[in-house]
Amino acid sequence: MDTLNILIMGFISIVIINNLVFTKFLGICPYLGVSGRIDMAFGMGMAVTFVVTLSGTLTWMIDNWILMKLGLEVTRYVCFILVIAGAVQLVEMYLRKFFPTLYESFGIFLPLITTNCAILGLCLFINLWGINNLLEAVVLSFGAGIGFTMAICIMAGIRENLNLADVPQCLKGAPITLITAGILALAFMGFAGMIR
Amino acid sequence: MRYHTRECVEENLAEMLELWNSAWPAGATMLGLGFGFALVLLIASEKLKVWVDPKVEQVHGALPNLDCGTCGFAGCGQYAKAVLKNPELIGKCAPGGPETSQKIAGILSLQVSDSGAVQKPIVHCHAHTADKTYYAKYQGIQTCIAANALANVQACAFGCVSFGDCIRACKFGALSIVDGLATVDYDKCTGCTACSKACPRNLIEMVPFRYENMMTVACSSKETGKSTRSMCKVGCIGCGLCVKQTEQFTVEDNLARLDYEKYEATEQTETAMNKCPTKVIIYRGKTKNPQDKPGG
Repeated sequence: MDTLNILIMGFISIVIINNLVFTKFLGICPYLGVSGRIDMAFGMGMAVTFVVTLSGTLTWMIDNWILMKLGLEVTRYVCFILVIAGAVQLVEMYLRKFFPTLYESFGIFLPLITTNCAILGLCLFINLWGINNLLEAVVLSFGAGIGFTMAICIMAGIRENLNLADVPQCLKGAPITLITAGILALAFMGFAGMIR
Repeated sequence: MRYHTRECVEENLAEMLELWNSAWPAGATMLGLGFGFALVLLIASEKLKVWVDPKVEQVHGALPNLDCGTCGFAGCGQYAKAVLKNPELIGKCAPGGPETSQKIAGILSLQVSDSGAVQKPIVHCHAHTADKTYYAKYQGIQTCIAANALANVQACAFGCVSFGDCIRACKFGALSIVDGLATVDYDKCTGCTACSKACPRNLIEMVPFRYENMMTVACSSKETGKSTRSMCKVGCIGCGLCVKQTEQFTVEDNLARLDYEKYEATEQTETAMNKCPTKVIIYRGKTKNPQDKPGG
């Protein structure tokens, strides 16, 4: 029961309270780049969720079972990037084979997940937060993906409506998007301190 | 002095050895992990292989690969695929310009010629301004579609209205209006079918060009011989003189037609052409004979 409690709390924490986009400001590139349309945003969120779950789990395993045993913590960055790039390649091949239409609609964004800092950030955070349980690492990774999906979908919904809004000339385009992102992050600050 | 140097060297050596000792596990782990992932990806790439049409690669190679999106697709890869499916999209690549279009057309028409003759358009009208009859001067919107909606834009309801919808459709500049008649420049034409779809009167038909010049009945008038003659000096009156010469011709709805699939340049077709009373049977194509009007 205690484990389950920790898992649920960890999940809620990473989705809402410690959301990578809103509180850590990671993964801003796809967050602003692919949030034009809500269906694209959701697809991107799903791809990121998949990759982050896979790479978060893998990196935890490599970190705890290989790097820490050998005292090679300094090589974390290199290893993690390797794992993420590999996972993205794998996802790309899989999508291309089984979901060609989804693959087409992603286009260039799928390879760009490789350099999505939210993913590398999460892999490093898992280590920083001292997660020493594989299950917890998996749940946190998955939660990070869900959190990213939520963030990007909220943003896409707002931006779709923003198209119809009467925005002052000087704020059209990127400025109003950045202001929106800032206000959203501010709103999510309200969750801070809800747990612990 | 000598002693000092040796000590120095030994110190350096020890330092380097220490560095090596602490570095090699890291290197080995990295290599191991790298090879592990390489192996997984290798297996995955074999298992999840997707067959791609080599023509896609060719077309993609011919494109400038800027992924600018001017063509309306996400990138050059998507455009290459779309062009293969629908050759009409040739020429959407603005940065590549006509050269790229020609290259793609080359790749695509190679594909066409593999499966038979190259399809090229033939304009089924031969009436220049002097040959036509007009009831009034049309002053509306200067497009064929708009003009065609009006009943009596010109006497012949089947002839070229010469406002150049086909010219605007053509991305290679292969069409022009020569003296009131849409004319194809077969040197520039790539056979993309855009013009034949643009013509509101369906005058432009895609024809398998098995010869440099194809014989054709350059008229589409289904009026009776008498009324065709009253409206146009060069219309087909459906007299059937050509049919008597060779079975390659047929007359239906007062209009002679050449069966392009069966067409072979024989003496009979030549005679039929000469016997045609309104001289509407002509050659179209890369005309080498200077006395023929080019394509006209």
